Amino acid sequence: MKLLKFLSFILVMSSAGFATAQETESTQQERKAGHLNNNRFKQLYQEFSSPNQYRSASGAPGPAYYQQQADYKMDIVLNDDTSVLSGTETITYTNNSPDVLEYLWVQLDQNVRASDSKTSLIEANGAAPAQQASSFVNSYMGEAFDGGFKIEYVKDRKGNNLSYTINRTMMRIDIPKAMKSGDTYSFDIKWWYNIVNHTIDRARSGYEVFDDGNKGYVIAQFFPRMAVYSDVEGWQNSQFWGRDEFALPFGDYDVSITVPADHTMDATGVLTNRKEVFSKTMMNRYNKAKQSYKTPVIIVTQEEAEAASKTNVKATKTWKYKANNVRDYGFATSRRYIWDMMAVKIGDKDVMAVSLYPPEGNPLWEDYSTIVVASTLKSYSRMSFDYPYHKAISVHAKSQGMEYPMICWNYGRPDAEGNYSERVKYGMMSVIIHEVGHNYFPMIVNSDERQWTWMDEGLNTFVQYVAEQDFGQWYPDAIAPNKAYPSRRGPAKKIVNYMGGDQDFIAPIMTKGLNTYNFGANAYSKPATGLNILRETIMGRELFDHAFRTYSQRWMFKHPTPEDFFRTMEDASAVDLDWFWRAWFYSTEYTDIGVKDVKKYYVTSKMNKQVREMIEARGMKESDLPPLVYLVEEGAEDFEESMKTQTLNDVTTLQSYIMDNISPEDRANLKSPRFFYDVTFEKPGGIPMPIIVEYTYSDGSTKRETFPAQIWRKNDKEVRKVVASEMEITKIMVDPDEETADIDTANNAWPKRKKLGEFKKFKDNVKN
Amino acid sequence: MKLFKIFILTIIFPTVVGAAIHKFYASTTKIEYVPQEQSVQIITEIFTDDIQQALSKRNLREIHLDSKKQTPADVLLLRDYVFKKLVVYLNDVKQEYDYIGLQYDIDRVKLFLEITNVSSFERIEIENKILFDTFEDQQNIIHIKTPNARRSLVLDKENPKGLLNF
Repeated sequence: MKLLKFLSFILVMSSAGFATAQETESTQQERKAGHLNNNRFKQLYQEFSSPNQYRSASGAPGPAYYQQQADYKMDIVLNDDTSVLSGTETITYTNNSPDVLEYLWVQLDQNVRASDSKTSLIEANGAAPAQQASSFVNSYMGEAFDGGFKIEYVKDRKGNNLSYTINRTMMRIDIPKAMKSGDTYSFDIKWWYNIVNHTIDRARSGYEVFDDGNKGYVIAQFFPRMAVYSDVEGWQNSQFWGRDEFALPFGDYDVSITVPADHTMDATGVLTNRKEVFSKTMMNRYNKAKQSYKTPVIIVTQEEAEAASKTNVKATKTWKYKANNVRDYGFATSRRYIWDMMAVKIGDKDVMAVSLYPPEGNPLWEDYSTIVVASTLKSYSRMSFDYPYHKAISVHAKSQGMEYPMICWNYGRPDAEGNYSERVKYGMMSVIIHEVGHNYFPMIVNSDERQWTWMDEGLNTFVQYVAEQDFGQWYPDAIAPNKAYPSRRGPAKKIVNYMGGDQDFIAPIMTKGLNTYNFGANAYSKPATGLNILRETIMGRELFDHAFRTYSQRWMFKHPTPEDFFRTMEDASAVDLDWFWRAWFYSTEYTDIGVKDVKKYYVTSKMNKQVREMIEARGMKESDLPPLVYLVEEGAEDFEESMKTQTLNDVTTLQSYIMDNISPEDRANLKSPRFFYDVTFEKPGGIPMPIIVEYTYSDGSTKRETFPAQIWRKNDKEVRKVVASEMEITKIMVDPDEETADIDTANNAWPKRKKLGEFKKFKDNVKN
Repeated sequence: MKLFKIFILTIIFPTVVGAAIHKFYASTTKIEYVPQEQSVQIITEIFTDDIQQALSKRNLREIHLDSKKQTPADVLLLRDYVFKKLVVYLNDVKQEYDYIGLQYDIDRVKLFLEITNVSSFERIEIENKILFDTFEDQQNIIHIKTPNARRSLVLDKENPKGLLNF
């Protein structure tokens, strides 16, 4: 019994990371208080709500999952002279929930720029010694422009007025009879508002005035839209403050838009009166474009757009569209637009990639916009599901990037002489990839943007990175002389500055966008980088891609929550990621892992000093012990130079064991390590990442080994690992490719290298 | 100190009724104090197209950066502009820089500057007015790293200066 105890004591001592001598003493000290489970690998039961009939534990929609339907029939008129947009709409709302609805909530997002908007009131400020004129006017001189909705009436289908209450960007409609489960109710709203110049205050929607006086309109959030009613939120009750975007139910749209007859327009939905609004020439070109898979075909040329810009016809034209299963609606119209299209094969279907841009966008836009749209659809379809709509349009707006179903606005404008910098070019390509990508997240995988910006921006920025790299590979001439597309977001290294920054100004990703400090890093870069790390480092592409596709397809045309994403990623991959979600999404922890210490050992059959002292303390003799193999640290008192040249054949205890227990044939398979390294890895950072180690051997060769993140489960500060090697190790390096977002790489190598920072490297280069 | 904190908060929450993504005007400056070398090492990173536009406007001629047309005079103008607009005070004393050089990185230019013989300091004040002359919305982000602390500042036209105590 005693012997067994002793041997297990030696074992425990060596495997646990903590000291032993103090341990015996600590029994004398005051007893430590107990604690709750604060293990970083604890399951997320407290953070997650319980799975239920609506949302399953697997992350899939549950058997009782429901979503509401809102169908719209709208007549819209644009007054180009006054920049007023007006419309009448019939909303048909279907209550698919099991609940009885006593009232309906409609969103009036344009009221964010009403004269009584409260948006500026939630921004704290102090007296500044100097202020921009525009911001001074906004702060102290009242609101000059009223861009809020003017509601002319809300009526039932028989023409009776319905009572309604407007609470800023939300309108409650009191319906005469409560809607039971399965009921459908229709009502009419007539409205108008002043369109804002979006180039002045960077509004998502509005007009731009070109040098010749003509306007380009990119119009969205332009009609009263139904709010979402769901099993997680009830009616959405978070106001539109201007940042956190939209939560919208799916529905079918039947829309007529009347604009000046010389305008060129595109919009969400299938154009149903093409013959009425297209000239013969346009029709011929359009039919050609449907067959053109390599290059875009121009439908309206630059000369034609410039000629139209010189007219200002008073006649109007009505464009009619039908869109099924979309969550929103947008359109762009101007007499200055050039229009091109090409076809792209997605699965067994043809989709049209479309661009709409003023001459100001050239030469950049005619060269790249439409091929970028086509390339984006291919990449996103591979990563999620085949693009289900019939077209994707990229519209050029001056300084705007914003997404709607099938249509989006994108910036990237050459200067007056037609020159553009690399930044403008890649900015334009990236924003097109990003905004077209939003068709998938959140237009189709319809997460609640008002609550969780990261669910669409983060996932979309992640796939954007994949699509950018694809584009670079498929169109090498477009990115030359770069060899790979210069992505701004995605690779782990690029998030280090943010995650290593000042903790006072970092919020967890699981924070409402409005309440974050650095919105871009928080909602776009960090979640995108986290997914990239899962894909490249933790799960591997095969498992990750399958799980990510499963999530996308499960929640296509539905309303997922963050948990549905987290659960599906685990459920479809059999990789428990609770620790990763907690660290990366629920906290502001960062990664910092290093090599703290390396001890070198040699093997001998001669009892070492440590064990001799132990058995003496217990009154035992060497003969009491079974045959043991001893490790002696290089440089220790009982270390002998001869141990360095010994091989395992010289260790008698080992040899006798092998002779007795292992057959001569099997002996050939045994390795014969001569060098033993006791490596202590430290983790000053909170995130338990895998330890990716690269060993460099005396002959210059290298080997990599990865210890999964779970190696940190019992000791969050440091872990030891014995590395047995047949060759001497000259260097040990943690995270050699910088793929874990390690914020401090100064401790990543043994022997401690003199870490050359970017500054030092540059300075040394300059000197030489 | 409290007032300063409020400044930072108001700046970091942009009051723009914003869009999903738009062209933003920002530069990043990393300042690291390395006591072993008694050196304050500065890397300031600016969008090349923005700085080219500003320098061309200021000098009433086309300045070419990251291009075959770039002349040594263009680089000098860039250097002097940064020297003038980016000012570091250590314990209230204005510092001089050694200019180490510049490097282009796709769409950005990085300038490497060094302050030498810095044995210690308790207070660092940074004024960064780079591009405030050209873009109303320009923000200049500063990251400061010492062996014991990491701090960040966001400077803009209304608050071009920030003070940190260590």
